[in-house]
Amino acid sequence: MRERGGQILGSERLRRSLIRVGAMAGKETLHILRDPRTLYLALVMPVLMLFLFGYGVSFDLDRIPVAISDLDRTEASRALVRTVTGSHELVSAGEADAAEADRLFRRGRVAAMLVIPSQYGEKLARRERVSLQLLVDGSDVVVANQVLSKADALVRAETRRLASVELAGPGAAAAPLQVKLWTRYNPASLSALFMVPGLAAYILAITAVLLTALTVAGEWERGSMEQLFASPVGRLEIMLGKLAPYLALGMLELLLVVAFGAAVFDVPVRGSLTLFLVIGFFFLVGMLGQGLLISILTKNQLVATQAGTISSLLPSLLLSGMVFPVENMPWPLQLLSRVIPARYLVHALRGILLKGNGLAALWPDLLAVAVFAVLIVAFSAARFPRRLA
Amino acid sequence: MTLRQAQGHRPLQPAVEARELTRRFGSFTAVDRVSFEVERGEIFGYLGANGAGKSTTIRMLTGLLTPTAGSGRVAGHDLARDPEAVKASIGYMSQKFSLYLDLPVRENLAFFGGAYGLEGKELEARADEVLALADLRTLGNTTTGELPGGLRQRLALACAILHRPEIVFLDEPTAGVDPVARRTFWRIIRDLARGGTTVFVTTHYLDEAEYCARIGLMVDGRLVALDTPAGLKRTWVPEQVLVVRGRELRGAAAALSGRAGVRNVIPFGAGLHLRTEPGSLAPEEARRLLTEAGASEVSVEPAEPSLEDVFLAVVGNSHA
Amino acid sequence: MSSLRRPSARVQLAAVFRKEVRQTVRDRRMMFMLIAAPLLQTVVFGFAADFTVDRIPTVVLDQDGTDVSRLHARRLLADGTLRRVGDVEGPAAADAELDAGRAAAAVILPRRLAADLAAGRPAEVQVVLDGTDPNRSVVAGATAAQYFGQVGERMSREKLSAAGIAPPAQLVLTPRISYNPTVVSPPYMVPGIAALLLLVVTTIVTAMGLAREREMGTLEQVMVTPIRPTVLLFGKIAPYVVFGFVDVMLLVVVGTWLFGVPIRGPLPVLVTGTLLYLLTTLGVGLLISTISATQQQSFLAGFLFMMPAVLLSGVMSPIRSMPGWLQAITWVNPVRHYAEVMRSCLLRGAGFADLAVPMAALAIIGGVVFAAAVLRFRTRLG
Repeated sequence: MRERGGQILGSERLRRSLIRVGAMAGKETLHILRDPRTLYLALVMPVLMLFLFGYGVSFDLDRIPVAISDLDRTEASRALVRTVTGSHELVSAGEADAAEADRLFRRGRVAAMLVIPSQYGEKLARRERVSLQLLVDGSDVVVANQVLSKADALVRAETRRLASVELAGPGAAAAPLQVKLWTRYNPASLSALFMVPGLAAYILAITAVLLTALTVAGEWERGSMEQLFASPVGRLEIMLGKLAPYLALGMLELLLVVAFGAAVFDVPVRGSLTLFLVIGFFFLVGMLGQGLLISILTKNQLVATQAGTISSLLPSLLLSGMVFPVENMPWPLQLLSRVIPARYLVHALRGILLKGNGLAALWPDLLAVAVFAVLIVAFSAARFPRRLA
Repeated sequence: MTLRQAQGHRPLQPAVEARELTRRFGSFTAVDRVSFEVERGEIFGYLGANGAGKSTTIRMLTGLLTPTAGSGRVAGHDLARDPEAVKASIGYMSQKFSLYLDLPVRENLAFFGGAYGLEGKELEARADEVLALADLRTLGNTTTGELPGGLRQRLALACAILHRPEIVFLDEPTAGVDPVARRTFWRIIRDLARGGTTVFVTTHYLDEAEYCARIGLMVDGRLVALDTPAGLKRTWVPEQVLVVRGRELRGAAAALSGRAGVRNVIPFGAGLHLRTEPGSLAPEEARRLLTEAGASEVSVEPAEPSLEDVFLAVVGNSHA
Repeated sequence: MSSLRRPSARVQLAAVFRKEVRQTVRDRRMMFMLIAAPLLQTVVFGFAADFTVDRIPTVVLDQDGTDVSRLHARRLLADGTLRRVGDVEGPAAADAELDAGRAAAAVILPRRLAADLAAGRPAEVQVVLDGTDPNRSVVAGATAAQYFGQVGERMSREKLSAAGIAPPAQLVLTPRISYNPTVVSPPYMVPGIAALLLLVVTTIVTAMGLAREREMGTLEQVMVTPIRPTVLLFGKIAPYVVFGFVDVMLLVVVGTWLFGVPIRGPLPVLVTGTLLYLLTTLGVGLLISTISATQQQSFLAGFLFMMPAVLLSGVMSPIRSMPGWLQAITWVNPVRHYAEVMRSCLLRGAGFADLAVPMAALAIIGGVVFAAAVLRFRTRLG
């Protein structure tokens, strides 16, 4: 813009810039509206996914199959079996020989085998110490841990039951030391409450990267990029214009997903909705920017999509704290996790929805996603080619 | 009567036979009951405006599209019953460049050769041959994407003839290519035809169409004309054509329009084409009239009607 | 003169294979994503994916302040499952730590604990848990319950002995853990991660392959040649079978060397399982490419297949924890079966007989998917 007489006011420049951004955003919106698939991907799929995964991804293990090898076959041993398999936590998978344990494990039929030694009843009567062997399939870590813990608790329960039967007197009345557990935020310890905020963040991260990774790269291949270069639109304006409609879609998606989570999985919303929206906003800008950056750098749809998938699918799943707590990871990975925006959104979502956390507790997360967003957009604008070569 | 029959040869089976070939896309009829025959060894040209149905016709003849109605035989094989045999006997060069840009020249040849069953030494030898034929001998290791337009087209042609097909279908093979490269290309096509290959080619360039033995003209899906170039000119541009060059002709042209015997005054390039009844207007007379009407440096010369004139006449007639 | 015989399928297949390999190998970015990226990700995720719940940050509120209470606190936190991150002065402070996320558990030892225990009066320890992560809260609760349960039992027995009554029998559970005695995560996760990575690498690439050729225009030229549809499809996926095998080999080596994943099972099982799996995932990619018109469509379809395939595969979370209807659905998820094959073969030493079911499932899914792709793909434009 050449100066004419006086100076072109900064605000005039800004106004014109915004108009150009608006024009780009309008064009991109038309593209989206004309192609219902994008809307489907942004609004319908995430809800479906949340539904599927909310039910599918959980660690609430019930009815773990345990084989019984009862070498005693007395009333006492049968009582033990009843206690162990009577609750819903472990179920009997039938009688088997200890020698078959390996085969049963290899076929995935049972998670463990309880071996009751042959003189169980006698030893009980003589008030001796009885060792019960629990053969555990250690290859399935999640199930193994739960089996060990549950079996231990059940056996101790049986011990107490025997004691209360034996000593129907005051000595056995109450255990001297009780433990009272109070579980806050998620009294029923449902996996869903834990998973849903994480899943929401995950799904959002994926769709955001996908939506944009396809746009620019596709335009390179189709040749419509050249036309953009011939126009007076600046790089930053192109970027913001392209991002804007997807941002709106993304916010809609975020609201939809959380509303759905609240409705179907009883995820509470205890904290500030505003904070939730603000953090979600910056998060989306960052992820959309990431997708845009990928498509800018690769100029090739096939490579862009591969790169987008690889950079969002597994990292967001494994390093965001969605499934595995970040604090338990080796420190290099903890560091790596810091550059994954999903980590902050997961933490913030859980805080806001389940704990009612506010800005005081979550400002580091907000800062992190905001910084990521700004950096990515700036970097993308800088790398956005101004010429064809 | 076909050319070869006129030359006294016994009628052999034609290379391409189309009978009432029709293709509809929904309610739109792209090709409407087209019938023709192409003789062996003939260079057959297929002309028409964009969207007239040329590419669709070729796609049906090469087995890429199923005709909605009608039938055809290519290289003696029925299109509907034996499309795979058709594919094995023909070569095809599509309008849009369709070789692999990310592969070197030799790899493209190796792939398409392999598609036709060529391998090993036979493939190598044949690849060398076509590279020589297409004058690309030194470019074997160049990445195809790095070749300029004209060379790419030659490579596409080379790939199409690897397996020595009886017939090659070329869809606008010289589109976007410079005049010198176009000449070279047509030299290769004529060499092919001389060797006995039938060439079915569509083109926009009417000067190239002069190389063809016969030409078919399509307008809006219908085949409206089919003849040798000379025959077409006789049928469609029976008038004499005078080529007028000079300055300030536009205004002066009006002076001629009303004149008896002048059929048409058409702006042509920077000058004019006058279509007159033969013998009704001498060039000198025209020159005088134009100069009197205000034009200067006028030159009027009789000219052979060009295929362009034919084209304009045919299209004008169809839309009349 | 053109050949009157049909061109040999073998020659055609070789030509397609060679072209695909050339194209892929020439693109360095693709090679990175096909070979290097999965390797990198295995290393990263092998370390990240840890199911062992320990070092749960815990605060202690010792309202008693006696030697006894301090002893119990120390003993409770001794084995590392609970990690002491501080002491608090009151219940409000404990809540604040939980709210802020600085602790996931708060152990409250009540006033007069030592006195009550000594006098034989019942005492109650409270444990406040952050239920946001039920894995942690359940384990923390169970740990506390187990520790104090044992203390209580011991005290009971002592009291009975002191009163001259023989204490009742004591049941002790002795676990014997097969295959993974220390129950560490990597041997469990790495095979699963390998399955996921293979899926990610192969499906999208093949899904987009045909669509890409369609968009670039080369498909038309290929369709006009006498290449048979099945030859084209097989030729397109064959290089990725090779890449897939290379990946699996590398991942197993890394798993063994870096994470101590054992190789207890027969190699032929691994090879067959991998082959069947690759054919399935590649087949899905192919099927998607035959039903998509553009690269964008095929990518989206591929991705929408992958997301549920990844999360509902039993790699991240146990299939046993899913509701029945969802468990039934996972039977058509090839990732589930392959993860099972890998885990069972590598860790448990399972053989063909043991893995007949998942192998058969893979074969069936692969067969169906491939048949569908072949049926749908026509070497015609219309």
